[in-house]
Amino acid sequence: MAEEFDVVVVGAGPAGSAAALVLARAGKSVCLLERGPFPGSKNMYGGVIYPRILDGLIPNWWEEAPVQRWVTRRATMVLTGTQSLTVDYRTEAWGRPPYNGATAYRPDFDAWLAGKAVEAGAVLACETTATGLLGAPGKGGIRGVRTDRPGGEIGARLVIACDGVNSLLAKEAGIYGKADPHHFTLGAKETLALPARVIEERFGLAEHEGADFEIVGCTEGVAGGGFLYTNRETVSVGVVLHLPELAASKKRPEEIIASMKANPVIAPLVAGGELVEYSAHLIPEGGWVMLPGLVADGMLVAGDAAALCLAAGIWLEGVNFAIGSGMAAGETALEALDSGNVSAPGLAGYRKRLEGNFVLADHRKLRRAPHLMLSDRVQHRYPQMICNLTEAMFTVTNPEPKKGILAHTRIEARRAGVRLGQLARDTASALRTYG
Amino acid sequence: MAPTDPGPGPVLVARKWVDRRPTVDLLTGEVSTDPRSSGASEADEAALEWGLRLAGVWGVGVLAVTAGPPDAEAVLRPALAAGAGGAVRIDLTSPPGHLAGGAPSSRAVASALALVARTAGSRMVLCGDLSLDRGSGAVPAFLAGELGAAQGLGLVSLAPDPDRPGHLGAWRRLDGGRREELALAPPWVCSVEGGTARLRRAELAGVLAAGRAPVEVVTAETSGPAPPHPARTGPGRPRTHLLTGPDPTADARHRILALTGALVERTPPLTLTLGPGEGADRILEALRAWGELPGEEFP
Repeated sequence: MAEEFDVVVVGAGPAGSAAALVLARAGKSVCLLERGPFPGSKNMYGGVIYPRILDGLIPNWWEEAPVQRWVTRRATMVLTGTQSLTVDYRTEAWGRPPYNGATAYRPDFDAWLAGKAVEAGAVLACETTATGLLGAPGKGGIRGVRTDRPGGEIGARLVIACDGVNSLLAKEAGIYGKADPHHFTLGAKETLALPARVIEERFGLAEHEGADFEIVGCTEGVAGGGFLYTNRETVSVGVVLHLPELAASKKRPEEIIASMKANPVIAPLVAGGELVEYSAHLIPEGGWVMLPGLVADGMLVAGDAAALCLAAGIWLEGVNFAIGSGMAAGETALEALDSGNVSAPGLAGYRKRLEGNFVLADHRKLRRAPHLMLSDRVQHRYPQMICNLTEAMFTVTNPEPKKGILAHTRIEARRAGVRLGQLARDTASALRTYG
Repeated sequence: MAPTDPGPGPVLVARKWVDRRPTVDLLTGEVSTDPRSSGASEADEAALEWGLRLAGVWGVGVLAVTAGPPDAEAVLRPALAAGAGGAVRIDLTSPPGHLAGGAPSSRAVASALALVARTAGSRMVLCGDLSLDRGSGAVPAFLAGELGAAQGLGLVSLAPDPDRPGHLGAWRRLDGGRREELALAPPWVCSVEGGTARLRRAELAGVLAAGRAPVEVVTAETSGPAPPHPARTGPGRPRTHLLTGPDPTADARHRILALTGALVERTPPLTLTLGPGEGADRILEALRAWGELPGEEFP
């Protein structure tokens, strides 16, 4: 055994670093394992960090967090090959403290947050992959982890698994059942370099301001969506694709990104951008229905490893859920260590904590959203119908008089193959989901 | 009574820390480094592995040394994790009147390394033959000069004599696929090529301990003026010579003969077999004769 710690946190992403920071500040001995050469080196995401969850953990975090741009423009766009309808909101309030959302490079942001944990006393070991658990639930409990280094066993009273979407540790602990590919999407993105001034002109932004576009109808018939957001001197454009449909389509994600970039609405925004990075990542989008057990004897699971990623159409959030669950895992671990009970019942407070804050409250409230958003009509029929309806309403056909909205809706629904009853049911479902 | 042989001391492994993507503040000129884009070269990694192997055979320790700011400790921690017994960072300060952050000269770095080697009682120094920033590669030679040590530079293999600590056979690459074999006895300074050894994967206990291990910091002054950086931005070019053109009234054949120098009497290629010193003298003599050393600015 290389060393004994109070807690081993596996994965120095936002969840792991937040857990390690909470524990190290409380004086516990913490080992933070990271498989990459530095925290964030293996991580990617497709949008915006909402770091207000850090308010309690790192006061005035915005003064030091490595942010690219503060998002002051948020748009939801419905696209077809030749049409687009955009709900575009912007506010200067999001460009001032305490801010709302930010774009950031994960190698910067994750390294910064992990650095906070190290400053607080956590021991960070990079290029070290946890390959398995020491002990097992129900057989004396989990007592640490094995790693891929020589002499690579670390003893711990508690393990917090933040090892990402394919959490091998959570699976080994029996926390996950058999994975259902319908609960996963593949995120893929290109990062394109453009001068800051060009980005600001194209997106109508002031210096340090950023834009975030969420896009429906741009994925070549594969269920999913697209995104486009601005960094300081790059824009990131990408897609999130339902895994079984992507496999069935025989299309490659980069081809779908290329098609999206060629769309006449997107093309002027990314024109001339030089590709500086391509990355892809699996996303646990199933939400509430795929949540694992969260705890085992001697182990807690947080972040993507616990499928705590919110993919609810207009709300696409992950990093804040990772930080929130990591903090809750750290606080629960503290209580359990102090009480001397690290069994699964002793860790039951973790779920209560998550239910008491946004992490599980949002997942419970929006539990129908992933199914609704990935449904056939939302993905394949409504974008065309909405764009056609908007075009019909704003096309002046004099001398013919204007039709009413309901009349246009009936016509366009019929053209799109949508029955009015289905439309009403989906509207009601959307109201139940988001209302 | 004969004095006791102090032995070769620990193997000193010199590692050059380089940030491949430093950020320069355009207003202040302040250089910021990023530990994520900095590190040591493959050759330095190979040198560390050779150092650990030699030390293992001879039962001596390994001392890892670098010169640079606190961020440079990033190349010492992996050495400690892999098995080095100690680590020293040389904090090179610029003399008054020098711009802070300028690269110290190879001679200054070698001088500081020599000080550390003497203090540690080390008579065996290993370096990589190429740094990440493709520096001049002159530090090992200057260091050997400072220590009065034998040089084995650009080595591809080392074979320690298990019975005589500090003694080893070494091979280096020559033109035409040939190898030169060296027999080295301490004190020596060797540099190795990258790819000649792969740094071992550190044990977990070593990794955990290395993060908390102390790194000794010694301060040294950069002596003499630092060279401007980069000293040269392009490949070496021979000096230009004024050539008179051919007689424009001559016919084409004679103009071509005049331009190419064909049929003109010239010094034929000459093959000489000389010792290194004589060879250098002969090269200088030829360069002078060809007008390549006007003013004799070369030493």
